[in-house]
Amino acid sequence: MKPQIRFAALLLAVSVGLAPAARAADDVVTVGACQPITGRFAFAGIAINAGLQDYLNLANEKKLVPGKKFNYVYEDSGYDVEKAVACFKQIMAKHSPAIMYGESTGLGKAIAPELNSRYKVLYASASFSSELADPKNHPFSFISGPTYSDMFGVLLEYIARNKGAARPKVAFFYSDTEFGKDPIPYARKRAAELGIDVVNEIVTKAGAVDVTSEVLQLKKTNPDYVIFQGYILSPIIEVIRATKDFGLKTKFMGTFWSMDKGIIEKLGQDAEGYMGVMPYSYFYEESAPGIAAMRAYNQRLHPEVKYQPNSYVQGWFTGMVYVEAVRRVVAAGKPVTGENLAAVIDTIKDWDTGGVTGKVTFVNHKAGVGRVYRANAAKGIFEPASDWIYSK
Amino acid sequence: MLIGNYKESYASDEAIFRTPATRAWMGAAAVAALVFPFVAGDYLLYLANLMLMLALGGLGLNILIGFTGQISLGHAAFMGVGAYATAILASRFGLPFWLSIPAGGALATGAGMVVGAPSLRIKGLYLAIATLSAQVIFEWVFTNWTSVTGGIRGLNIAPASIAGFRLDTDERIYFLILGVTVVHFLLASNLRRSRWGRAFVAVRDRDVAAEIVGVNLFRTKILSFMVSSYYAGIAGGLWVYFTKVITPESFPLSLSIQFLAIVIVGGLGSIKGTVYGTVFMTLVPEVLKAVTGLARVVWPNAQSYLFPLRDVVFGLLIVVFLIFEPHGLAEVWNRVKRFFSLWPFEK
Repeated sequence: MKPQIRFAALLLAVSVGLAPAARAADDVVTVGACQPITGRFAFAGIAINAGLQDYLNLANEKKLVPGKKFNYVYEDSGYDVEKAVACFKQIMAKHSPAIMYGESTGLGKAIAPELNSRYKVLYASASFSSELADPKNHPFSFISGPTYSDMFGVLLEYIARNKGAARPKVAFFYSDTEFGKDPIPYARKRAAELGIDVVNEIVTKAGAVDVTSEVLQLKKTNPDYVIFQGYILSPIIEVIRATKDFGLKTKFMGTFWSMDKGIIEKLGQDAEGYMGVMPYSYFYEESAPGIAAMRAYNQRLHPEVKYQPNSYVQGWFTGMVYVEAVRRVVAAGKPVTGENLAAVIDTIKDWDTGGVTGKVTFVNHKAGVGRVYRANAAKGIFEPASDWIYSK
Repeated sequence: MLIGNYKESYASDEAIFRTPATRAWMGAAAVAALVFPFVAGDYLLYLANLMLMLALGGLGLNILIGFTGQISLGHAAFMGVGAYATAILASRFGLPFWLSIPAGGALATGAGMVVGAPSLRIKGLYLAIATLSAQVIFEWVFTNWTSVTGGIRGLNIAPASIAGFRLDTDERIYFLILGVTVVHFLLASNLRRSRWGRAFVAVRDRDVAAEIVGVNLFRTKILSFMVSSYYAGIAGGLWVYFTKVITPESFPLSLSIQFLAIVIVGGLGSIKGTVYGTVFMTLVPEVLKAVTGLARVVWPNAQSYLFPLRDVVFGLLIVVFLIFEPHGLAEVWNRVKRFFSLWPFEK
């Protein structure tokens, strides 16, 4: 093939790919998503994408919203804000969805001006940043679960409920990223209210590995609990191992991203007693009918899958909120638009999700509920250590 | 068929676009660029804006690396300095964009002057590391000087406006970005053939020889750093009005590397190469995305292989380009042009 012809063929292929699709019919609700399927967040993005897609398929199968069918379109955004914004605009132009899903806090902030003024679609994302749970500045965004602040609220509440005679001593151990710093101001305030002493705040780079000096600081103040924020694995594992070597009795806690069962596998026997907050039930939990339905769906469609990570449940739960919002809008006889959908989010009160989460009440576009889980190293899983706790 | 370019006056000798054909093409490109926002969709317009700003920043780095032969791994940080200065001046002091963007450029120029100072004593890889430290230091400042930079959450700013006309959509801001970028490209074309531009090239080709013929090495190198970071700062200022929000995470090391890739893929020392490099680095991943999107229709479940494969293909493309044309896309284009200038009488 001549180069010119080859180039023309490529152009044609691309223009076909970029051409706007026909407008969707009234009975179809399009959900668009920019998912980080590649890049450093891919470990979660692939699972979130699968969970969201699976739940919307299930909603179609079971006709959860009579007369409406969900159409899920997604693109890879590579965990890169510029690419993600391009992806957002591309999906909006091509499919004009009423609902969007985004990859990160960064995308949420970058797209906010246009989301508020032009696109006006219901928007949720993989982010738990409290900055996006703000109906005044982000009227179309909601957090599909608790914010990081709420997660700290749940953990501190748990510590306060399980304290002994003395005032509990807590250390916050976080990365110098937005992800790490987001809940800290709230956490300081909440700890003071609950009568918990914050004896230490340690800030490191995300993914730091040399933690000797940080562990020595912990040794000096000897806190009862250390709460990690802003990390996935490193340096949580290194800190836990090093403090064990020093013979400290400190208990360690994490928030959503450091609570997948992978961390138990990495820690081995050292995982025993590691705790943390999880807004969603785990895939293997027996007591929740909503999780059983999820397992049954997976058994049927992906029989090879034995375990789905929490990001999958996160995507699944986001799908549940989308479907519930559409159901409420349709029940009220209103058209399915971003404005109507965003308006019903905070009307969701005491919503039973079948144990996928605690009873959900949205306040300020977030659902501040979670449960404390403790690692069982022998079984390699997290087990509930508390009932559902509501953050204040 | 063009067989020569006969110059009869100083004006024609000084022209940037020398042949009627070039002028015609540039005129057509100008018309196309002006019509573009009205015909392109949101997505293409967004990419166009992105590319214009990257090209502007990339040109700055090309002046430093391609013209003067000094390496910098801190280019994104200069862009950040310009962006933060613009955002702070606009949001705190209410400066209009036509003052805040040049002020951002000026501050970035100052930063470039300081960071460029070690270039007199160190060269090559050592200079790369020295400029890398600038990247780290500035990123740290953006993150931790909370009272000024807004810390990790960054700053939000209102859209640019002039006489009550708000540049709040991608279409409107496009004209600002396009105008500023075009002017700076023309400036760079002129800079290259000025006394300073020739001094840059002399320093690049052999610094000792340059010094012997009377080029002040230190001043030349510092000036190159200043011009380079000025371009980055202006690009940063435009960036602020384009995205309306900046955080320290907007200007990571990977952006510096991306600028470096733009310059190398496009062609070191080539002004138009910077444009080609930017287009390549921005559009090829998007084209690959569209292609994998088509493939997904056939194999809906292959996304977990297809999506990462895209990055592999992109990487391979860069490697292949560099092997077959180390002088970058600008040289590829020159060859294509030479081919067509003889067409259809080629051998």
